[in-house]
Amino acid sequence: MSGSAPDLRVFADYSCDFSDEADVVVVGSGPGGAVAARELAARGRRVVLIEEGPPFTPADYSLDGGLAMARTLREGGLRATTGTVMPTMQAKALGGGSLINSAICVKAPEFVLERWCSDYELTHTTRADLDPHYDAVGAYLGISPVPEDVQGRRNLLFRDGCGALGYASEPISRNVRGCRGSGECFTGCRSRAKQSMDITYVPDALARGASVLTSARVDEVLTSGRRAVGVRGRIVAPFTGRASFAFEVRARCVVLAAGCMASPVLLHASGGLANGSGQVGRNLQFHPGVAVMGLFPDPVDPRFGATQGYQSQHFLREGFKLETLWAPPAVLAVRLPGSGRSLEQRLLGLRHAAVWDAITSCHRSLGRVVPRRGRGDPVLRWRLHPGDIPVLKEALYRLAEIFFAAGAVSILPGVHGLAEEMHSLDEARALLRVDLRPGDLVLGGNHAFCTTRMHGDPERGVVDEWGRCHDLDNLYIADTGVFPRCPSVNPMWTAMALAHRTAHAIADRI
Amino acid sequence: MSAAVAGLVLAGWVGWRIWGGYRVPARGKALARRELGALAAIADALFPGELLPRSGSEAGIPAYVDRLVAASAPRQRMLMRLLFFLIEHGTLLFPAPGGLRGLRRCSAQPLAARAAWLEGWRTSALFPRRLAFTSLRAIVTLGYFADPAVLRRLALEPFAIETPVCDADLLYPRIGAPRASIALGPADRTPPSDGTPLVAAPHPERT
Repeated sequence: MSGSAPDLRVFADYSCDFSDEADVVVVGSGPGGAVAARELAARGRRVVLIEEGPPFTPADYSLDGGLAMARTLREGGLRATTGTVMPTMQAKALGGGSLINSAICVKAPEFVLERWCSDYELTHTTRADLDPHYDAVGAYLGISPVPEDVQGRRNLLFRDGCGALGYASEPISRNVRGCRGSGECFTGCRSRAKQSMDITYVPDALARGASVLTSARVDEVLTSGRRAVGVRGRIVAPFTGRASFAFEVRARCVVLAAGCMASPVLLHASGGLANGSGQVGRNLQFHPGVAVMGLFPDPVDPRFGATQGYQSQHFLREGFKLETLWAPPAVLAVRLPGSGRSLEQRLLGLRHAAVWDAITSCHRSLGRVVPRRGRGDPVLRWRLHPGDIPVLKEALYRLAEIFFAAGAVSILPGVHGLAEEMHSLDEARALLRVDLRPGDLVLGGNHAFCTTRMHGDPERGVVDEWGRCHDLDNLYIADTGVFPRCPSVNPMWTAMALAHRTAHAIADRI
Repeated sequence: MSAAVAGLVLAGWVGWRIWGGYRVPARGKALARRELGALAAIADALFPGELLPRSGSEAGIPAYVDRLVAASAPRQRMLMRLLFFLIEHGTLLFPAPGGLRGLRRCSAQPLAARAAWLEGWRTSALFPRRLAFTSLRAIVTLGYFADPAVLRRLALEPFAIETPVCDADLLYPRIGAPRASIALGPADRTPPSDGTPLVAAPHPERT
């Protein structure tokens, strides 16, 4: 470890243009970038980690869902796909998505990784190959199941419903130590229990001699022939994004971990870099999510409990995973039907409510990240394929089934064209029978993948199995863009495991 | 001559429709008086305060939305303002009941008619219309839930949590401040969270 003061710079510390040099420059401090930076620093490499967003202290958190989204998310939380309109959230903060996600950690199932290997000509990405990397990250972050005493009733009801139906379920494993059940994961953990990157891997990288530049936006990857030689960008003010000083970091190796949306945009902005395959920005996939609210006869008191405490992987091969969910109450209240007095009546019923969701593997629904002219946020073109709608319908029905098995008196499925409140499973069968269009569903797509996918064939993918771009000798990508196909489960642990592997591959080469 | 008079009348009507008659004393940080007035009318239609302690405007929804818009990036700010304009003058596209009176802007409709008209947006067969309303309602609902009295009545107020001081807190200043402003030192570190479940205060209805 380095004994000197940590080299972290925040917006107010910059006073002029500057340049720096490193062995490795890592762009993005989310789960991929933070792991890569720390692992490389731990192997004695001089690392500069660059993050566009600021660090958030607990005093900067806001429990107000709107303000929290406006401050921590790209496009103020209003980012959505075009084609089929679906909101999608990407963070802009030190620690990236780990600051404001619910810390769910699930290893990609063996059958998923087997498919990755067989369909994308990969030979070293089986579960056995990745397990050492999963385990290293898991041990570092203390990934463990949610303890029963902080589950809260809304999570345990899900367990009971699954149990009554014979569906497998289990407490969700998370990178959390000492959860108290505040249900505030999405607005920043005031208990400091969530082991987000900003309080784990990033400080550790700093302690090991890495430099961390925050409020620094990378605009271009610099190259010379087949080699990346550094990055160039601007310092940007928190929240307004107003650009000021210029910076340049020269390095022997460049790692892009800016996220599935931003990394391909950066490659395009750097003169169509690493795009010999023509796949940069293509193949965009999500785990489109749907949710159902259930109302119980007795109070659930949903504000207490782990944000997402229980899950069922029973239907993973059918294309969906079921989870419990809590979010800032205002966000959940948006889906309540009615207005005026009837809406207020519904709001009073929130004490009796639980919300459960499904994330789905919609492999046929593909999209594309398209850069805008200038430096604006990208256009996200994505369309829900009609062939994937039955998976969503089935997922909604299973959620309804679990609710009624757990004792719910009614459910609010949130599907346009159907009854707003259903009082029995018989009624809920309409979810399976109805002919739905994409606009009838309230979708959310927070896991995004594949825009710089790995493929054994350089003609059909952007990076190889170690995250190295096929077209350049020393440009790597370490975010969910490298997934060749959606993983069917929450992606953070897999993204970190792959980044861990990429970091070690880089350390072996330089 | 008559065309000029007709043009003037039309311009006057358009001007009145867009800017006239709002009873809002001052513009906000980001929103004009007309937008604050429209938001107050929408907020009261959605949340009349019949069963809850505050109506939408009493809960400060217009001021909240003003702060939210001010905190947003220019493009999002423009989109939100367009949305408010679309709903306020949406009666020209989708008239409220009441014949010609149904063409008056949303905020000029009587409360019951306004609520019914907004409900028509929520349940519309047209996806873009539903989407516009959902976006508006999301913004307004965020504002309603920002009122502590509303949260208390719904038993959804945040827990009181004493935040531990961890190593990272010695590294990061408040957003906007320089690192030199960090007042915490190693002696300020506290033990990490021990995982003690938070205890909810009893709900007023149950005591």
